[in-house]
Amino acid sequence: MSQPAVLKLHQELRKCFQNIKENQTVWRGVLDECSSLVSSLGNLAEQLRALKRTEIEKTPLGTFPNLPELLQYKLLNAIDTVLNQLREKVNAFGSVRDSVIKHVCAVFKMYEQNSDSLPISTCVARCALSPSISDMLEWLQDTERYYRIQYMQRKNLLQILKPDDLTLLESAPKRWLSLASPDGEERISDALCQVSFFLESD
Amino acid sequence: MVLDLVVVPPETSDLGSQRCRLGLVLMEDLGLRLGSPVLVTLQGGASCLCTAWPRPDLAEAYLQVDPTCSSAQLRPDALRGLRLGSEGLRALNCPRVKRLRVTALVRSGEFKRRTSAQEVGALAAELLTGLYVHEKHLVDISHAGTPIHSLQVDTVNSGSHKAGRVTPETRVDVVSVRTLETYQRWERKGSSVPLGGLEEVYVTLKEMLTLPLRYPISTRRVGVTAGRGALLVGPPGVGKTQLVRSVAQDVQAALVTVSGPVVVGSRPGESEENLRAAFTRASEAAREEPCVLFIDEIDALCPKRSSSTGTPENRLVAQLLTLMDGVGSDEGFVIIGATNRPDALDPALRRPGRFDREIVVGVPTLQQRYQVLQCVCRSVPLSPNVDLYSIAEKTSGYVGADLSALSREAVLHAILHSTQGGAGDSGQSEVEEGDVRMEHFVKAMRMIAPSCLRSSVGVAEFTPVNWERIGGLEEVKLKLRQSVEWPMKFPEAFVRLGVCRARGVLLYGPPGCAKTTLVKAAASSSHCSFLCVSGAELYSPYVGDSEKALAQLFQQARACSPSIVFLDEIDSLVGCRGDGGGCRGSSVQAQVLSVLLNELDGVGFKTTERRGTGLSERQETRRDQRMQLQEVCNQDVMIVAATNRPDMLDSALLRPGRFDHIIYVPPPDLQARLAILKLHTEKMPLNSNVCLEDLATRTNLFSGADLENLCKEAALLALHEEGMSVSTVQQKHFQKVLQHFQPSISSQQLLQLQQLFKHNYN
Repeated sequence: MSQPAVLKLHQELRKCFQNIKENQTVWRGVLDECSSLVSSLGNLAEQLRALKRTEIEKTPLGTFPNLPELLQYKLLNAIDTVLNQLREKVNAFGSVRDSVIKHVCAVFKMYEQNSDSLPISTCVARCALSPSISDMLEWLQDTERYYRIQYMQRKNLLQILKPDDLTLLESAPKRWLSLASPDGEERISDALCQVSFFLESD
Repeated sequence: MVLDLVVVPPETSDLGSQRCRLGLVLMEDLGLRLGSPVLVTLQGGASCLCTAWPRPDLAEAYLQVDPTCSSAQLRPDALRGLRLGSEGLRALNCPRVKRLRVTALVRSGEFKRRTSAQEVGALAAELLTGLYVHEKHLVDISHAGTPIHSLQVDTVNSGSHKAGRVTPETRVDVVSVRTLETYQRWERKGSSVPLGGLEEVYVTLKEMLTLPLRYPISTRRVGVTAGRGALLVGPPGVGKTQLVRSVAQDVQAALVTVSGPVVVGSRPGESEENLRAAFTRASEAAREEPCVLFIDEIDALCPKRSSSTGTPENRLVAQLLTLMDGVGSDEGFVIIGATNRPDALDPALRRPGRFDREIVVGVPTLQQRYQVLQCVCRSVPLSPNVDLYSIAEKTSGYVGADLSALSREAVLHAILHSTQGGAGDSGQSEVEEGDVRMEHFVKAMRMIAPSCLRSSVGVAEFTPVNWERIGGLEEVKLKLRQSVEWPMKFPEAFVRLGVCRARGVLLYGPPGCAKTTLVKAAASSSHCSFLCVSGAELYSPYVGDSEKALAQLFQQARACSPSIVFLDEIDSLVGCRGDGGGCRGSSVQAQVLSVLLNELDGVGFKTTERRGTGLSERQETRRDQRMQLQEVCNQDVMIVAATNRPDMLDSALLRPGRFDHIIYVPPPDLQARLAILKLHTEKMPLNSNVCLEDLATRTNLFSGADLENLCKEAALLALHEEGMSVSTVQQKHFQKVLQHFQPSISSQQLLQLQQLFKHNYN
């Protein structure tokens, strides 16, 4: 039994799961902040659409000079600001993803380096306190894939949003919501729950 | 150790993870670590690259494969319920990929147009990171929800490796971006049906499609928009639809099909909407690649506009016309219409700018039939005694659909033959079981009639008659053979001497002298289509109907040429113009006669009846030459008429060029009478005292029919006199019958007939 290799790998796994745990909270926080931004983006798009439909000259406001242009300028500015804020948030997602990828890669690298001293029978051995190495590696891989795809999808959505494409802007909140994958989140939480004893058994 | 693995569907959580779940023992056997790449090869050669992971329940003997990276031939349903030996799994050494060339398959053409290749490349690189890829495999990344559906891997590390792992450092080059729809169509390409005998039309169509694509600059410089529309005209079953399909496949063009009846909807305006939708679909597809909009049965969609057709139809026609005019402007796609009733189309449709070209696909000629047969029988195991050439010769008037039905029927006969103890006849044992032999084709030919002769007037079915069945008349037989059989058998000689086949033959002579039987024999000795008309079929109470029926008869006869049209009792059919007959004048008979004169020697025929034109550029063998010559010799319809009142015929009919040969069928002479008597008493038990020679001498002026009747009467008399158990017919019976028998021909009548054409024909 090559105990030292197992112990070393366990150590690395603990570190990685710890990191994922922290990152999960960060991710959730950023996601919450985003939802308000995205809904305000949809709101702004709706206002812009309303502005285009109404003929201000026929209302009492018609006396103000250049009102439609000014309003439109203001709204576009607001949209720009919101989009910029969203971009920042997505960058935050990116940093979460990068950190997860870095840690997961490190674990896999270590496994690959020590794989000669880690036969498969050892990898699948489970006990009451710790899941098997293979299970944990699998979870890590799933988590990494989840964050990677999530980040890519959200970044993509943000990229195609342009201030002049109103219909797309209006549908943005709906699209943003549809990107959320509760299954994936749940799976990460499940994995974290399953490794909680393992994390404590330092 | 070879394990038998049951393939079960992957878990939903594993979708897109490229995992393949294995048993532990197997993983150890193969020397696999967690997550190391493994190539799963199925029986059909399809393969799938996965990463090996143990099953959560650690069970052996099961295999779950996630087909994220698999070869294109792997169908998702092929994995269901499959059993796989463990030799199908192989550990693969996968280095890191430095450079990857891929083809991106995107969901919508819109994304393809809007996004640059770099952007697609960046997206593809992100999507591929962490995956293992294999050369020529299709990586399915649809689960990520991006506009890219999948990526086809062209080369890994510029071809130096078969497979590898994509890392963030990998440089991904997107060679081309294609829509998924296009890709799937190209993949389906294998199902093309070979076409025989349509090369000329094929080339024309192909040229139309490829010219603007292959030489875009020159066509633009010349300022011509090459033909944007073509109308295929031809009888049903010649392969118009099939032709368009195969051309579209050949030039890799998208094919949007509109069939007339499907477009027409019940609500007002629905039909127009459907039509517009079809055109939009075509122009959508045309942005990606060359596109053909194919309107099948266009006569249903675009009938002649008139007050009798309703407004909805007229609106639909107008919509089609405007849509077709709109096509030229955005330089989109080619429209091909197909119809078998070009005359029913609105004339506005048939002008350049709408349908620029009209391509006539006629009934196949002999050579074309031979080629079609070759195509149709490509996959049929033919026995060496099958001669496709002679089948092609016998199947005049068959179109492509008929020929394929013929081969199918022949195969069915062969199957039936082999299952019904065909193995019993040991004489045929050297012929391989299940081969299709000539007799199967002959049987099938009896079942399948040429489709252009169906619903035709005057299709006659008769038992074949041999020349030998007709006693005497050697000279007449020779004449008939000359004009009917020789052009078929010796085309070289005819062409060499610059002789063409006789247009028409008139047989005249006293009644009962085997005129009709002679024609039957001529038709059965040459493998022509045989049509015969009688007054009953031709005459109708409606004005103009008879003329139309006759014209249609000739049209059909030309379609199935070489053919023989037989007009029995032609004097009653067409009569004579002018004062001769008295009441003729402007009667129906005179009009029928004028139609007949036109058909015999008219200016020409309609363009829609055109058949294969020009000579195909193939390797000329002796046989091909012979076939061509035969084609040249026998493209006309031959008319054979019979009458016993030649004096009643119009003189215009009798000139050379119409009826070239006017043959007198005389009453049988002594020798002929003997031969006839011999023929008719063949099945009759004759007493030894019966002297046929004596009977022949005593039956001067008897016609063939009289002689037949004589034999019959004698036999009946024998039955009457001697009772039912009589064994032979005796001479006295013949003599007794002869005493009461008057010949049906009088010598005066004979003299009249003989003198009639003395001035020009002896």
